Amino acid sequence: MSRQGDRVAIVAAGMTRWGKRAATFRDLVAEAGKATFDANPNIKPGDIKSFIISTVYPERSAFQGHPAPLAAEWCGVRPSEFHCRVENQCGSGTTAIRTAYAAIKSGLTQMVMCVGAEKILIPSHEEIFLNAMAGCDREWEACFGVTPPPLFAMVAQAHMKRYGTTEEQLALVAVKNHNHSLSNPYAHHQKGATLEQVMTSRPIASPLKLFDCSTNTDGAAGVIVATEELARDLCDQPVYILGTAQINDGYPWANYHKDWSSWPALKTAGEKAYQMAGISPSDVDLAEVHDCFSISEILEYEELGFCPKGEGGRFVESGMADFGGRVVINPSGGLMACGHPFGATGIRQAYESFVQLRGEAGDRQVPGAKIALTHNLSGLGEHHLLVYGRES
Amino acid sequence: MTAARDIEGYIVDRNVYSMDPVPLEAKEYNRIYPFYDHLKQGRLTTTQCVDCGHICWPPRIVCPQCISDQLDWVDFPKVGHVYAYTVQQNGNPPGFPAPMIYALIDFDNGVRIICPVVDCKPEDVEFGSEVVLKVVPAPRDRVLFFFQLKSKSHQ
Repeated sequence: MSRQGDRVAIVAAGMTRWGKRAATFRDLVAEAGKATFDANPNIKPGDIKSFIISTVYPERSAFQGHPAPLAAEWCGVRPSEFHCRVENQCGSGTTAIRTAYAAIKSGLTQMVMCVGAEKILIPSHEEIFLNAMAGCDREWEACFGVTPPPLFAMVAQAHMKRYGTTEEQLALVAVKNHNHSLSNPYAHHQKGATLEQVMTSRPIASPLKLFDCSTNTDGAAGVIVATEELARDLCDQPVYILGTAQINDGYPWANYHKDWSSWPALKTAGEKAYQMAGISPSDVDLAEVHDCFSISEILEYEELGFCPKGEGGRFVESGMADFGGRVVINPSGGLMACGHPFGATGIRQAYESFVQLRGEAGDRQVPGAKIALTHNLSGLGEHHLLVYGRES
Repeated sequence: MTAARDIEGYIVDRNVYSMDPVPLEAKEYNRIYPFYDHLKQGRLTTTQCVDCGHICWPPRIVCPQCISDQLDWVDFPKVGHVYAYTVQQNGNPPGFPAPMIYALIDFDNGVRIICPVVDCKPEDVEFGSEVVLKVVPAPRDRVLFFFQLKSKSHQ
């Protein structure tokens, strides 16, 4: 953990409306840039010397490579100290913030703007599903038609078989997250969901149904990350990065680990992030975790130490993952209700942490929130974590 | 208008390989081309390190355990066992119409493969099912492989 005075903080955060957007990739970038600057009038585009764009496949959905200078320019930024694009599939956003943290800690720069943006919904429906194969191993998975839904469905099969997790327990993750999104004006879906609605939604990959899955969505979000010294000048309530961890234990999917009902790499990364932050799981007030599928969130409760191994289904069933429970998981509505524009998700999780820890989250405010955790995954054994804290 | 139509014709009529998920299998593009040659002979193979003995999947040109580049081709056991499976009914990518059965298949050589199981009904597959190789043709003289239930393959 960094000493006080030597920390790195978020000093501004903003996001676009997420959903089926009548907007191009660069429109989304420009909207997120404006929302981020609008959130902190003390910072102007000309003050930003470093810029990171987090985006996964603009080459496919916008036929646009080399997005860093484009995105910087569309945010009004001419970087003179540090700029790059980061891509780690669904974990890109958290990777961008970690990269900003590293750049600041190295002394290369004192302040970095990170924008995450993804255009997913293109005119051809079939091409959207074809694009979903691009993040899998082309020669050993994608060519067989393997995409994330069947992979996570087999995680669910393994977890149900070993721990007795039920389809109703999976569905309760979706009910919780969709109901959270009722008070998130930026979420793709803001309609809530009932258990019956989730259970009767159309089958995707057994046992997962439509509502067990996150949504294909367009969207973008931005944060500005700075040294503690700058943060105190520029921001009334900076949100500090207290801990972070990242891990990858294999590739492709078949090689992660043998028991798919456990994610040992996430457990390891979680312990490391908690140690760096000097906290334990019981200190976490809210967590924005990677609910790409309902089963993912169940595994995340367990591996991040919010409940004992194998108890994830009962944890959500008993209300422990909701307001009034042990920890509020995905108060924003998560990937399920906000949607999941890959490169933007980790930045959106940082946005949610920023507003929650500043007490600005409105009807979805977690009362008295002091510590937030964010988690992105880009494979069963590939995880990206950040722990945020407010000034105590 | 003419120019736009020309672009469309180019993409549809010419070989735009970047939009084709099937690997470039031929010798002039790929150093593990023997894998595909073996597959065309009905053999599923991978590489084993001559120096440390490590069998890896997928096949490689450098051993990930000891970084040796002395690798031999070895055959898989004929039969694999289903560790987990799922039936995909919606959201299938183009070319893989529903229902598709996907499985994690374990082999006695320590390798696990993710692959479709074909030529059977979803209710015929269970945890532990025995499966065997099925080689299938792919566009432009290429091949892919799926698995089928061992019991079905003798019918």
